[in-house]
Amino acid sequence: MTVSLESRSAAAGPANPTPPMGTTVEAVAVLTGWGHGIRALPADAARAAAGRAVIPLFRPVLEGERFRRATRECLLGVAAVDALLRESDIARDMIRGSATALIYVTGAAYGASNQAFIVAESMRQARTEGGLSETRPGSVVAESMRQARTEGGLTEKRAGSVASSGTLHFPYTAPSAMAGEVAIEFGLTGPYGILIGGAAATIDALWQATRLLAGGRCERALVLAVETFEECAALYARGRWLVRRPLVEAAACALLVPGALRARYDAPRTPSTLETLARVRAGETLACAPLIALALARDGGAAGSVSVTGEWRGRRAGLHWQ
Amino acid sequence: MSGGTRLRAEPVALIAAGAVTPLGADLDAFWSGLVTGSDGISMIERFPVDDLRVGRGGEIKKLRPLPYTRHTGCRATQLLLAAAQDLLARAVISAVPERVAVVLGTALGGVEQLERALARGGRPRHAAGALYDSPAHALAHRLGARGPVLTVGTACAAGATALGIGADLLRADAADVVIAGGYDGLCRFVMRGFDALRSLTRERVRPFDRRRSGLLLGEAAALVLMTRDDGKGGPKLGRLLGHASASDGSHIAAPDPNGRGLEFAVRAALDEAAVTPADVDFVSAHGTGTPLNDRIEAEVLRRTLGRRASAIPVNSIKGALGHSMGAAAALEAIMCLLASREGVVPHTLGLEEPDPACDLDHVVGSPRATRPRVSLSTSLGFGGCNAALVLEGAET
Repeated sequence: MTVSLESRSAAAGPANPTPPMGTTVEAVAVLTGWGHGIRALPADAARAAAGRAVIPLFRPVLEGERFRRATRECLLGVAAVDALLRESDIARDMIRGSATALIYVTGAAYGASNQAFIVAESMRQARTEGGLSETRPGSVVAESMRQARTEGGLTEKRAGSVASSGTLHFPYTAPSAMAGEVAIEFGLTGPYGILIGGAAATIDALWQATRLLAGGRCERALVLAVETFEECAALYARGRWLVRRPLVEAAACALLVPGALRARYDAPRTPSTLETLARVRAGETLACAPLIALALARDGGAAGSVSVTGEWRGRRAGLHWQ
Repeated sequence: MSGGTRLRAEPVALIAAGAVTPLGADLDAFWSGLVTGSDGISMIERFPVDDLRVGRGGEIKKLRPLPYTRHTGCRATQLLLAAAQDLLARAVISAVPERVAVVLGTALGGVEQLERALARGGRPRHAAGALYDSPAHALAHRLGARGPVLTVGTACAAGATALGIGADLLRADAADVVIAGGYDGLCRFVMRGFDALRSLTRERVRPFDRRRSGLLLGEAAALVLMTRDDGKGGPKLGRLLGHASASDGSHIAAPDPNGRGLEFAVRAALDEAAVTPADVDFVSAHGTGTPLNDRIEAEVLRRTLGRRASAIPVNSIKGALGHSMGAAAALEAIMCLLASREGVVPHTLGLEEPDPACDLDHVVGSPRATRPRVSLSTSLGFGGCNAALVLEGAET
């Protein structure tokens, strides 16, 4: 399956004979558990992890009452876009409004807020039924407490805090809350998309961004990915057949603008060099991987053709700028 | 929308649909329930609700047992597979597996599996099933689809966005057949969340009514089979002419007070479809029955459709089904096409006294005999998500 996106767009009919635009990646910002930017990536993530299953990323400190209830993944999304603007010397006003598209991707960043809500709700029920000390063996509460003691997962302190405020956080259990916070913070009111999945979904998102640009539906597009794992470490330990190690928390953002390069979307069988390099250098970052790959390409001086691929659940997608 | 030169989108054919809803186990039951004014709302029985303020919703009481759903405990996947069974009874997928794509919208994914994963005895498959894209992959596996598998997470607007992305995959020749739609199952997670937000009404759902007091949730799955429109005029439900999604950038859990994201989406979808308000014959509104949503949505429709707004029939099916979240927009798109085919627009169940602040040509009391050619369907969701679809019914 290898078809030029532009050739199909060009066939859109005589209503508008203007040739479609190409695109280019204007800027990429990367935050990972290894540090800020790709220069912080080790040469070999597996070796650098030294047996750790999860390499956590910090909780950004953002000012403002609005962020008081925001989840860590929301803050990381805001921080990634902010880093992109700062590193590229782009004013916030430049992206504000309806001419900027936002496409957010995550494989699992909603897991922490979902788990916190379920545990909080279970604790509320347990209290109603006679107190946490009498929690039914095998219940979510009992199991979470057991894991907190034995596996370093959800801590009792954290479980207690979410129990007292969990239901107020319900809107933050939706993956769309993350993109919503970013849209609010940067005043983004244009085309909007949220894809759920790993690296292949980010390729889909990059492709969507090129389509929006080629179709003239926006002037620039942000593709943003965030992945957090720490809070759900115990679950990933059980689902290790699904995800590789080390799991490295990350937030990454790419800015796409009209340009000279034509983008081709396909389904390659094998990983691109950049996909392999991103995995070796960063570890398993799920949806962030293709954006890290783009950052590595830019750091390596790749100004022309770039091929990024991403795999998730047995499906690999690719996008090739030529 | 500001922006560069825009390209009119190629229409995409919607060949057939399948659904499972609180009104019944298939598409026929869905349609007949709508036009006969059936109420799909009932007390929830599948999980405990006695400690909640509101324990009613659009629960599907019986799912036809399917041999391949026996081993999945995931409600969302069961709903999807039941809708797929209905779809496959109406259409044949004639493409090589690598050219068949699956694009699904959801607000909750398989979140109910997370609760199982967190309890003692939770298995790795429960943990994997808790990922929001698991039901889409389960459906792709069932269909033998080996093309792109996308899960769209734009909350309650996700079903519309999924159809839009599905159309884009076809236009880009990244697939020959797309199974697109949306789903969500009712579970305690979402009932407790909306209950805590005080969004659920203790009365009946009354979209656009002056007495409206909130929404009720429902569960459903809805799928359409999409292909490129080859113009050969074979049997089909209709065409998707345009789609747009847009962000409010305003609030996490409430619509923008001025509806700017929805307005952007409506204008952009009409533009992509190359139709004007004069061409629109019917509006399927999001119409949740919450005081804020319905007023804002009505204002946006009046602004975007101008003078035509008062002459275009408008309905909401959430009075009959509840708000089926990720499935809602896909169901509403299907309803638009069925209305074209049958020459009838279902009325808005629960709407008896239209709110003057929501002044539109509401279909009240009984179905209206009219055959809309071009329909506009609007959707909103948590996180400031908005989407609009422009659909055209097949010529009869």
